[in-house]
Amino acid sequence: MSILTFVSNVLSIGIPFSVALLLAALGEMFNQRAGIFNLGCEGIMAMGAFLGFIPAYFLQNSPLAGYANLLGVLAAGGAGILLGLLFALATVTFKAPQGIAGIGLQMLGWGTAGTLFRHFVGGVTGIPGLPSLPIPGLSKIPVLGPMLFSMNAMAYLAFLFVPVSYYLLFKTPWGLKIRAVGTYPRAADTMGINVTKTRYQALAMGGLLAGLAGAYLSLGQAKMFADDIVAGRGFIAVALVYFGRWHPAWILGGSLLFSIAQSFQLAIQVMGIKFPYEFAVMLPYVLVIVVLALTRSSAVRGPAELGKAYDREKRI
Amino acid sequence: MKKVVLAVLIALMILPSAFSAPKAKVKIALIVESTVDDKGWCQAMHDAIMAVQKKYGANLVEYSYTEKMKPVDAGSAARQYVAKGYDIIIGHGAQYKNLILEMADEFPKTTFAFGTSGEIGPKNVFTYMPESEETGYINGVIAGLVTKANIIGLVGPVDGGDAARYNRGFILGVKSVNPKAQVQVAYTGSFGDFVKAAELAHTQIKAGADVLTGSAQQALGALRAVAEYKDKQIWWLGQDTAQLAVPESYKVIAAASYAYEAVVEALIDKRQSGVLGGESIPLNFSNGGFVYQFNDKVGPVLTADIRKAAEKAKADITSRKLVINWKDVK
Repeated sequence: MSILTFVSNVLSIGIPFSVALLLAALGEMFNQRAGIFNLGCEGIMAMGAFLGFIPAYFLQNSPLAGYANLLGVLAAGGAGILLGLLFALATVTFKAPQGIAGIGLQMLGWGTAGTLFRHFVGGVTGIPGLPSLPIPGLSKIPVLGPMLFSMNAMAYLAFLFVPVSYYLLFKTPWGLKIRAVGTYPRAADTMGINVTKTRYQALAMGGLLAGLAGAYLSLGQAKMFADDIVAGRGFIAVALVYFGRWHPAWILGGSLLFSIAQSFQLAIQVMGIKFPYEFAVMLPYVLVIVVLALTRSSAVRGPAELGKAYDREKRI
Repeated sequence: MKKVVLAVLIALMILPSAFSAPKAKVKIALIVESTVDDKGWCQAMHDAIMAVQKKYGANLVEYSYTEKMKPVDAGSAARQYVAKGYDIIIGHGAQYKNLILEMADEFPKTTFAFGTSGEIGPKNVFTYMPESEETGYINGVIAGLVTKANIIGLVGPVDGGDAARYNRGFILGVKSVNPKAQVQVAYTGSFGDFVKAAELAHTQIKAGADVLTGSAQQALGALRAVAEYKDKQIWWLGQDTAQLAVPESYKVIAAASYAYEAVVEALIDKRQSGVLGGESIPLNFSNGGFVYQFNDKVGPVLTADIRKAAEKAKADITSRKLVINWKDVK
């Protein structure tokens, strides 16, 4: 195998596998920019994966089969919003500790998805999932074509959402409000920004994206559902927000780096290079930790009020 | 010929079973990390206990189970079973080892079991170990004969336990019929990460593999990935017969399964004869611990010659004519 083929294979597998991480991390970025730390991302992804799967499973042999994937994506996104709002109720309105509430949400999502799956489906089974959508002309470009222009519709939209989220966060009044309530909510409140409402909106956006990330796992990646389908990717997404310095472009870079490292370590194992596989499996995680450790300035760029509930009546 | 077959069948029917019915009522509890209908690891043991219960009757074999038990949570479930007078408590997975050893020390009159493990435990702990190099070898024979590219992909969970034995047996099976074939071995590092297993299967296929195999729950993800190459001659050999009943089964040439009935019956038999533990119970073709099935719906890829070679390997393994030195494979 030539080096070019090797690189092409690694990238063409690694890039699509970054999509779930990218969506979830962008969602978590909105949460954290508004000052809320949502460890429940994993649970929302589990629910998103389940609800993304269900229409495709039940409608695959019906006249509505053509709409199944769309229905799944909508259901996953809707459930994500609801779970995001539930988390907002707990952490913004009732000011529950965010870490504990996040773990609770993770358990709730994981447990509910698993229980419903067992009740309605029973065992692991496949679905047709999202088809590849090669872009005419572009997909035929040597090397780059299979890498970048032969993915499914959700993957294209996810990558398009990177500039969109940059625009939303840095170029719109809504984005300014989000950043303001995450940096100095008292000042934002003084300026007439409704901190509670803004944080609810950010958490709904975060939930939506986490739900879609889950749907991508079941519809676009595995094309099946199982209890542990998320397998810690929600937590990796949280880490990628720190890695990405709460910025969409850096988060895209982190998601790609992690997924390509993952694909690379699998490829070197397949090539039979004598190397303990345990180290190969660790490689993507170690890489993220090393980069996090080397980017010390990330701490000062984080939202100043991250993880703190806002209480208007509290005296400073 | 018909008479010979009939005579063999009658002989098989009247042959005494290796195990007799329990002399007294036995209460068995199962603790699993997944669910008893997971179409894989946990269901295999659950089905075996249910089969034994059906064989001897619920009045002789009482059975309960607890699902979704992480090792840290499983202790309370095990204690409740001890308090309710259960005779045999099975923690189905090597992850329960520490818990089982602690409980065994505390409750010496209860029989505990965990697997897969070949370790010899304390006097009231049994372990069980599938000698899965046997099923791996047969799958390897088929893979070696089916491959056109002479590249075979192995999607491993981890290099340990029965998965390691399966993988090594598979490599030996391939080499026995096709020394030129190259087996690409890689691991996901997880028993249950379907997504990563699918990613690894795609990597294997892009690297030229036209026959793939893998074990543990995660293998379903790899099979799903193989099924995406619907119109290509890329095939799968399973280590779970449940894979013959999934929609992707048109890619599965054959599959093996563990039949834990042999373990369950041995546990009951040994306990009732006064042996509470201190032994490792193997699962192999000789003691009926494995089931092997060809997929007749897979089409012309499964030729008569390939089936014959696999059946010969199975017969030789069962009769111990063929010994698989899986430990020799590094």
